[in-house]
Amino acid sequence: MASTGSSFSAAIPDADSARTDIVVGLTSHNDAETIVAVTTAVRASLAGRFAGVASRIVLADAGSTDDTAARARAALEGTGGLIEVATPRAAAELLDMPYHGVQGRARALRAILTTARDLGARACVAIDAGAPTMAPQLVESLTGSILHDDFDFVLPFYRRHPYEGALTKGVVYPVFRSLYGVRIRQPAGGEFACSSRLLPRLLDEDFWDQEGVRVGIDLWLTAAAVSDDFKIAEAALGVRAHRVREGDALDLGTTMSQVVGALFADLESRADTWQRVRGSKPVQRFGELAPASAAQGSVVDPERLMESYRLGYRELRDIWTWVLPPKTIVELGRLINAPAARFQIDDELWARIIYDFALGFRMRVLARDHLLRSLVPLYLGWFASYILQVRDLPPDAVDERVGRLGAAFEAEKPYLIARWRWPERLRT
Amino acid sequence: MLEEFRRALEMATMRIIDGIANFLPGALVLLVLVVGSLVVALATRYVVLRMLRSLDVDRHAELLGVSALADWSPSRSPSRVIATAAYWSILLLGLLIGLTALDAAVPSRFAMSVFQYLPHLMAAVLTLLVGGMLARFLGRAALIGAVNMGIQSARLMSLAVKWLVLILAAAMALEQVGIGQTILRLAFGIAFGGLVLAVALAVGLGAKDVVGRALERQLREPAPREDKLDHI
Repeated sequence: MASTGSSFSAAIPDADSARTDIVVGLTSHNDAETIVAVTTAVRASLAGRFAGVASRIVLADAGSTDDTAARARAALEGTGGLIEVATPRAAAELLDMPYHGVQGRARALRAILTTARDLGARACVAIDAGAPTMAPQLVESLTGSILHDDFDFVLPFYRRHPYEGALTKGVVYPVFRSLYGVRIRQPAGGEFACSSRLLPRLLDEDFWDQEGVRVGIDLWLTAAAVSDDFKIAEAALGVRAHRVREGDALDLGTTMSQVVGALFADLESRADTWQRVRGSKPVQRFGELAPASAAQGSVVDPERLMESYRLGYRELRDIWTWVLPPKTIVELGRLINAPAARFQIDDELWARIIYDFALGFRMRVLARDHLLRSLVPLYLGWFASYILQVRDLPPDAVDERVGRLGAAFEAEKPYLIARWRWPERLRT
Repeated sequence: MLEEFRRALEMATMRIIDGIANFLPGALVLLVLVVGSLVVALATRYVVLRMLRSLDVDRHAELLGVSALADWSPSRSPSRVIATAAYWSILLLGLLIGLTALDAAVPSRFAMSVFQYLPHLMAAVLTLLVGGMLARFLGRAALIGAVNMGIQSARLMSLAVKWLVLILAAAMALEQVGIGQTILRLAFGIAFGGLVLAVALAVGLGAKDVVGRALERQLREPAPREDKLDHI
């Protein structure tokens, strides 16, 4: 059996190690319910659209305790196309607290990318085996633009309910756009595809062994891809299906601390890169976005969110003054007694708040976990403001509204840069 | 008789001179030690203050929550408090060493007992400092967590956590220095025992129906997730 030559063990039949064009990697953890459907859909996609192309499916399981791997093998029996990569769990991870995201995903992704590099694949696709339904054109959409149009990194773009993914729309997307100058709507999606040109670059990154990689891996991979001269694209897909895993039952404070913490950590590590970027460019989008429908989404009561904001202002204002200047505190205070019709957090104000928190994260003015959790009431206030603005808008207008938020973050970037370079101006 | 008077006077004078001669070296050593320790204390205070200010200790202490201790001093500066504490420590140390040089039994024993007491005093101070930092950290964590859960009395919960930790730290410090050990143990026992009994009575008598229904619901069906929204 040939070895991948990496620190991860893999069983690659010698006969098939010569040439592979496409590697489809599946990350899994206790996904026995969905693995069969996903592997079957992937196999069908490869057999159909890429019938004449050498391809392999790699299963990187992060220590499932059910029969995920056995079911995957059974689903692909006879095809000779499954490579299983072991991703041993480090002793330190045994004490891990629950976190947002798939258990062991970073290790699994590293194993998949390593295997793809060792096999000399032209394109590598990473898919979460926990998706309850997989868009039939997922593999084709992600891989096609790499093989035929010479792109290096392709992310999916799903149609989502206007209220879903508010943290991505309100914080992750606009910050990412402002920092790196690319308008990727879902920079931390669960799936992606990368070219052979990008593979060694991703594997050479030093974040694989950093604290926080478990949560931030998807975002950090995207940041690595956009930080250099690689061609980025989005693949329009349907409605995103999401299965609630055990880790997804985390409270908003923990989610905020982990996700926004990963974003701010990336901001800190690539300060030299993003300070040189000005403006932003749209990315090429392939495929047709699923038609907008009256999507069934959660009903969110903005009044409850506003009440959370008011409680946060009353009790956490002293903590906020550690990072927010007096002018911002005053503007936030004006919203306390504002009725729903006038409850609005301006895009520019929201951008400055996020930037100030990023600076506070960098300066460690407080324990970082406390700082990020104290952002929750502000986020809920912004969310309420956002809902009140978009609840009567058609989906395209909502997209445009999110785009304007991104533009506001870009416009306030000099504010971030000035405070980053002269941190003694924090709180003034 | 005059001869006897003269001899007695001579002997008394000699005893006084002998006494002074025996005492004077020790007193001179004491004086030298005190002056020397004063000089060292002044130099140490200057150096420590400069060093702490260059390390921006005042700002870090404020962030860690130990600056409250500095509120007791007029300057309200932790750096100055530390430097002053170093100054007086060296000065007192010099005085105690000087006292032993006098070869006076009582002052010597006093000095030795102070030296033996010092480790306990330092442990108590350290316990108070760590307790203060921990109280502030946990109080803030409780406040943020309670606010994010939508609890209106978040500030009250935070204060309760903070003061509980502070009281524990103070009790441990007092036990370390050996002050009121018996009464402290009794007070804690009575207070906590009383608190637990009061809570048990309140829940057991006043809310037994509510608790029963809640337990029944828990056993019958799992609690639904309040918010199914995916924020990511």
